[in-house]
Amino acid sequence: MSINVIRFEKVTKAYPGHPQPALDQVSVDIDKGEFVFLVGSSGSGKSTFLRLVTREYRPTSGRVYVAGKEINRLANWKVPRLRREIGAVFQDFRLLPNKTVTENVAFALQVIGRSRADIKTLVPETLELVGLDGKGDRMPDELSGGEQQRVAVARAFVNRPQILIADEPTGNLDPTTSVGIMKLLDRINRTGTTVLMATHDAGIVDQMRKRVIELEHGRAVRDQAQGVYGSQA
Amino acid sequence: MQLRYVFSELGQGLRRNLSMHLAVVLTLFVSLTLVGMGVLLNQQANKAADHWGNQLQITVWLCKADDSNAACTGEVTDAQRDAVIAVVEENPEVSGHHLESREEAFEKVKELVGAERFEGPNPAATAEDMPESIWIELEDPDEYKGITSAVTGLDGVSGIRDMRQTLKPIYGSINALQWGALATAGFLVIAALLLVGNTIRLAAFARRKEIGIMRLVGASTLYIALPFLLEALVTALVGVTLAAGALGGFMYFGIHERAGDALKFMPWIGMEEYGVAVLCVALLGPLLTILPTLVLTRKYLKV
Repeated sequence: MSINVIRFEKVTKAYPGHPQPALDQVSVDIDKGEFVFLVGSSGSGKSTFLRLVTREYRPTSGRVYVAGKEINRLANWKVPRLRREIGAVFQDFRLLPNKTVTENVAFALQVIGRSRADIKTLVPETLELVGLDGKGDRMPDELSGGEQQRVAVARAFVNRPQILIADEPTGNLDPTTSVGIMKLLDRINRTGTTVLMATHDAGIVDQMRKRVIELEHGRAVRDQAQGVYGSQA
Repeated sequence: MQLRYVFSELGQGLRRNLSMHLAVVLTLFVSLTLVGMGVLLNQQANKAADHWGNQLQITVWLCKADDSNAACTGEVTDAQRDAVIAVVEENPEVSGHHLESREEAFEKVKELVGAERFEGPNPAATAEDMPESIWIELEDPDEYKGITSAVTGLDGVSGIRDMRQTLKPIYGSINALQWGALATAGFLVIAALLLVGNTIRLAAFARRKEIGIMRLVGASTLYIALPFLLEALVTALVGVTLAAGALGGFMYFGIHERAGDALKFMPWIGMEEYGVAVLCVALLGPLLTILPTLVLTRKYLKV
């Protein structure tokens, strides 16, 4: 039997002052180890979907389960524990400019109280995994965009989360570099980590042939195994 | 929990926001000093009231053995004393009274002038030289004529002291100073609270990237807020230390060196009262910085 790491049950999320809900009765199951693309035009509800997973928001109605926890009922003080099960990567990398590559990655472990010994083994291991071996002492502004995104992926993955969410991770990168990042995410997915990626990049979705969930005006209009970006294919 | 990050953030935070922290420290320093002054003055007023009675009191001196008052024929007898007390108890202007023995009066004098002058073979006075007295509390400080005339001329009464006129300006000044200090402190405390709030807002803004990442990777709220709380504690400690120093300076140069010498008839506050004032300041200081920090970090650093 498969295990859901993310489960949306008739989830609606409405923002105050907006008549149209950002998500409208969305039901989705994502199993452990899946690679899922979340596609749709701007304003279709992709970011809201991701923010419900990280429990930055709570649903207006319906239920959201993440890593076995029902986030509607999750007490505030338990949210940090949930987030340790989720790694997150963004379009704008969100690195700390005054810290080296190693320090940026180590920061994610330091602030959750991991021991120095753990940090000493996990950080170089992860940097090697993302292909930044030997670049640990560089500052972010000395790296290319693709390399910066690799640092962000390393930071998201260094704590070995169950889920990796990526919000337009290739949005700022050229096609060749994007392919490199996708290969990296695929490699992380093969370690058993569930990857949920919101994207506008049709080329990548079409090439990867993974599960595609399409949102339109807050509704899940398509859920297709080995799908493509546009619904016409 | 790894605290290395917290302490390095603390140092960075203090340096980065130095001018704001200085503003908080100075405001805290002045406001806490004024609060401490208020507490000291309050204790000074109480101390004076203990010695002389407050504004609602008049004192009836009873005859002693060799009383200078011609009306006294000798030391007050038990019957005379009881008769005076009965008159006092029956009078509607009186709300309460107590008898002060010769020994109690002697102790007060010793405390005021210094015990050493009453020791040895040639003491300045003994308990025997002190009169017994009845301390009368009035219902209303303006209604005193009835009791004064009722007691005057009774057998065994040597005299009546009504110090309300003498004490009024002294208590008035002490009270005015006390409330002036506390009111000014009140305004400054508000200023300090606002400054602390602003400091946190600036610091949270300066660290928004770090804070965002910390939340993202699952750092606990306490861990995120800890540098802010420690900063608040450090500024409070500096403020409290400065205020305690200023109050100490006031006690030494103001009370001990000047007022204590110039106005010897007054019982002055000492180390014990200073301790109480410093304790108040030491409790209030951290409260003033940590409470707004707790409230605002909840607001700005929500997970």
